[in-house]
Amino acid sequence: MAGNPDQDARYLAAAAEFGGALQRLACAMEANPERRRDLLQDMHVALWRSMTTFDGRCALRTWVYRVAHNVAASHVGRERRTRAGAVSLDEIDHLPDGRDLRDEHETSDALERLHMLIRALKPPDRQIITLYLEGVDAAAIADITGLSAGAVATRISRVKTILAQRFNDLAASASHD
Amino acid sequence: MTDRDPLQELWTNQAQEPFTMSLADIRARATRFQARIRWRNATEYAASIFVIACFGWFAVTIPSPIVQLGAAMIVLGTLYVCWKLYTLARAKTADETDQAQAWAEFHRSELQRQRTALDTVWRWYLAPLAPGLLVFLAGATFAPDSPAPLPARAILFGLSVCFAGAVFAGVAWLNKQAVKTLDREIAALDQIRAV
Repeated sequence: MAGNPDQDARYLAAAAEFGGALQRLACAMEANPERRRDLLQDMHVALWRSMTTFDGRCALRTWVYRVAHNVAASHVGRERRTRAGAVSLDEIDHLPDGRDLRDEHETSDALERLHMLIRALKPPDRQIITLYLEGVDAAAIADITGLSAGAVATRISRVKTILAQRFNDLAASASHD
Repeated sequence: MTDRDPLQELWTNQAQEPFTMSLADIRARATRFQARIRWRNATEYAASIFVIACFGWFAVTIPSPIVQLGAAMIVLGTLYVCWKLYTLARAKTADETDQAQAWAEFHRSELQRQRTALDTVWRWYLAPLAPGLLVFLAGATFAPDSPAPLPARAILFGLSVCFAGAVFAGVAWLNKQAVKTLDREIAALDQIRAV
């Protein structure tokens, strides 16, 4: 499958700027290393293919996140058909938080818990929490997800509350710094 | 002093596995992706091709006009199913190519496409095969050279029709259950979008 120079150049620029974010998204969505790598490669292929039609209808960042999240959502949808159990933000309190399993002050452990929490969420909470963690503002999250700014703001507020409750150890250590 | 959430710091500073993908790798995977779609479509046609081959062979080799008519009707019905599979596969491929839609639109169109395909299964997958199957079973059961008495053949025909009907009803019921699940997902998504 041949590309064109414009497509290649646009893709390379997007991959250079957002490659890390795509990798973090893949980590959050897929626990299995092999399937995670597949997912990440699929995101890059979809991004490269999409660059033939990139028309500036939205910012490059919005475009990249839309493509990546749609690929991730399709991947998770396929996985979900064989695995039930995703929950909404309202039900997240019932999930074990893993604190009794390992030393919660370890950064890698906190990250692992964060990944587990994200993987347990249903869409669109999963999309919103990962975009929030990337530092994307509410207006841009609304643009990427297609939800209203009000709906996104409400969900971000709930995401922050849940993160504060479940990761207060990190917040506490940050406040001591 | 920063007002960034410590979790955002943790998230964006997380260590990452080495990952590189050259343009050549991308093109190769994109080509494999297309091949995968062709393979997916081919597997959907495989059962149809088998049915067409079997009943096409029956239509020319079994010396009973009613059986031949039934077999020919099944072949025509299966060709119609193939055409519908082709149009559904095209719709799916078109959906897959516009991945820069906002997530909610992308997700809803995907759910709606699946719902439409499943909800109309009885019309495009079961109904085209039913008349041919009935004629074929009637022709095979009531063949003039059959040694069985007429009541026995009538019972056999009734049982065959009931069995085929039960299989068709089972397929339709399973699809209806899947449609109900999709309806719930679409309703939940619409509720979120309406806020």
